[in-house]
Amino acid sequence: MTGGTPPFRRLLVANRGEIAVRIIRACRELGISPIAVHSDVDADALHVRAADRSELIGAAAARDSYLSIDAVLDAARRSGAEAIHPGYGFLSENAGFAAAVEEAGLVFVGPPAGALEALGNKLAARRSAAAAGVPIVPGTTVALEDDTATVLEIGFPVMLKAAAGGGGRGMRRVDAETDLADAMTAARREAAAAFGDGTIYVERMVSPARHVEVQLLGDRHGGLAVLGERDCSVQRRHQKLVEESPSPAIDDATREALFDSARRVAGTVEFHNAATVEFLVDADRHHYFLEMNTRLQVEHGVTELVTGLDLVGWQIRVAAGEALPAAVLDAPRRGHAIEVRIYAEDPYHDFRPTSGRVTAWRMPDGPGVRVDAGMEADTDLRPEYDPLLAKVLVHADDRPSAIARLRRALDETRIGGLQTDAGFLRWLVDDEAFAAGDYDTGFIAERWQNGPPLTDEDRSLAAAAATMARASAATARPVAATPAASAWALAARRDGLRG
Amino acid sequence: MSDYEVLVDGQKGDGGSWQLEWEDRDHGLARLVAEGRSFPVVVEGGGTEWSVSIRGRRIPVVVRTWRERLRAEAETASQAHSGPTTVKATLPGLVVAVTVAVGDAVEEGTSLLTIEAMKMQNEVRAPRAGRVTEVSVLSGQAVATGATLLRLE
Repeated sequence: MTGGTPPFRRLLVANRGEIAVRIIRACRELGISPIAVHSDVDADALHVRAADRSELIGAAAARDSYLSIDAVLDAARRSGAEAIHPGYGFLSENAGFAAAVEEAGLVFVGPPAGALEALGNKLAARRSAAAAGVPIVPGTTVALEDDTATVLEIGFPVMLKAAAGGGGRGMRRVDAETDLADAMTAARREAAAAFGDGTIYVERMVSPARHVEVQLLGDRHGGLAVLGERDCSVQRRHQKLVEESPSPAIDDATREALFDSARRVAGTVEFHNAATVEFLVDADRHHYFLEMNTRLQVEHGVTELVTGLDLVGWQIRVAAGEALPAAVLDAPRRGHAIEVRIYAEDPYHDFRPTSGRVTAWRMPDGPGVRVDAGMEADTDLRPEYDPLLAKVLVHADDRPSAIARLRRALDETRIGGLQTDAGFLRWLVDDEAFAAGDYDTGFIAERWQNGPPLTDEDRSLAAAAATMARASAATARPVAATPAASAWALAARRDGLRG
Repeated sequence: MSDYEVLVDGQKGDGGSWQLEWEDRDHGLARLVAEGRSFPVVVEGGGTEWSVSIRGRRIPVVVRTWRERLRAEAETASQAHSGPTTVKATLPGLVVAVTVAVGDAVEEGTSLLTIEAMKMQNEVRAPRAGRVTEVSVLSGQAVATGATLLRLE
């Protein structure tokens, strides 16, 4: 970064958690004063304390605070912010919000409202991509009505998707004709409830498939950087848990074809700032456009590690009108990066959400390790918001070294108070198929299921830790532990006789 | 140590020769050491109920004396007969719809309310037939795991 004039004096970060902290850090490095926003339950949150000041924008429920366009704009006016960074989620892909920010005379740090509008409707985006010569997943390019014939023609299994959806929301797999009518009704109802638009479309299920996406960064002067791909095939519920770059599954020809398709999709709209074009890649390395996310992605750090670029910093700079230099447009990519997401989820029970209070919180550190966290020790988890606790990223010269580094980093990671998916992630780095780069979007369902049984060593360690913890807790108190040894021995003997 | 019966995830366990060394006792941070090896763990709990996190996996452990075992077994036996049923949240999320009201008669499997969690809508159904005697949540309310949703009689 140059030591020149900051692109903005004050920037409002319209988000919370780890991504708000990430954006605040970029502001600091650019000499911009970061302004946070918070709901009433977040008054003491990490992102609030990281900023220069924070504006209260409403009650805990996101629709009353982080999703309220009026409240966020008011906060920007009150604080004298010149620009707003929406992060991901919440208002980040809301074209109405982007337009309102610009109308208020502020700068929206993201693609133009027109691009959000055009690409936000996934069905319209499919049509545009197809028209631009980009392969799309076989299926409908118009809304699916009550004609099952269209679906039968495509052939099962199929995916029903919400036109207004994206990012894994409002998706439903259908395997047989008998389930179709019910699934269509349910998908429409879910889409209507979640997005206010019950329009659905249908795609053939591409399976096995890799989920590979391409990072784009554009300026307001026609400069467009294609910053490599990320492989995000380790997913549960169509949502990503692990991302890496480069993809271990594609060759240079496929990579170039993906980059070309990504450029073409971006070319269908007036585009600048950051976006990601998502594709499925099948076993024959054919690729199919899925959707274009007109925002910063959760996994942007993977690209930052292999390119050495500060994507968030560049988002802010291009929003202020700066042109991308050759060093960004032709940024070389070096080494291998992997990100794992730590969620408050129980991987031993279908990755169902967990809740409660995070007690212990030890994050890894050391060479080649980066942690983006929105959590700290002794903090209640807010059920209102996304359960992403932290992202652990590693960078190394090659993939085997990156996996070794990730194993070391996860061994240093300790979280108390609730189960997280860290148990799955620690298993993953020892898995042969993952080590070989041999995985697709069905990986968790096929290989992990609900995890392996406890080993004898796990049992022995757990028994020792709990027993000694109890014994030392008992001796720490003034009242001595009950001398139960002989009584217990008697009882055990009695049990043995009875058995 | 032999004073206690230890159940690791429901099965009898034996701690072998591992020794526990505390690092930050308030947060349950410790390590287990034996034969030149060590494992970082998080140990939490109290009384008979403990959990030990090893390599990211939280393992439930019961540590109890024989008296505590007898008491626990007696309690399990007395809970077997049915009475009023409290329907609790099995996962944290946002209540997006409440489809019954106090006084409603419900069959087993009747949809009671919908909780949105992990971007999915999860219907909570009646565990048995009965009458709704209390609805403890409102639509739009966030709930934690174990929160009382409603009561049936």
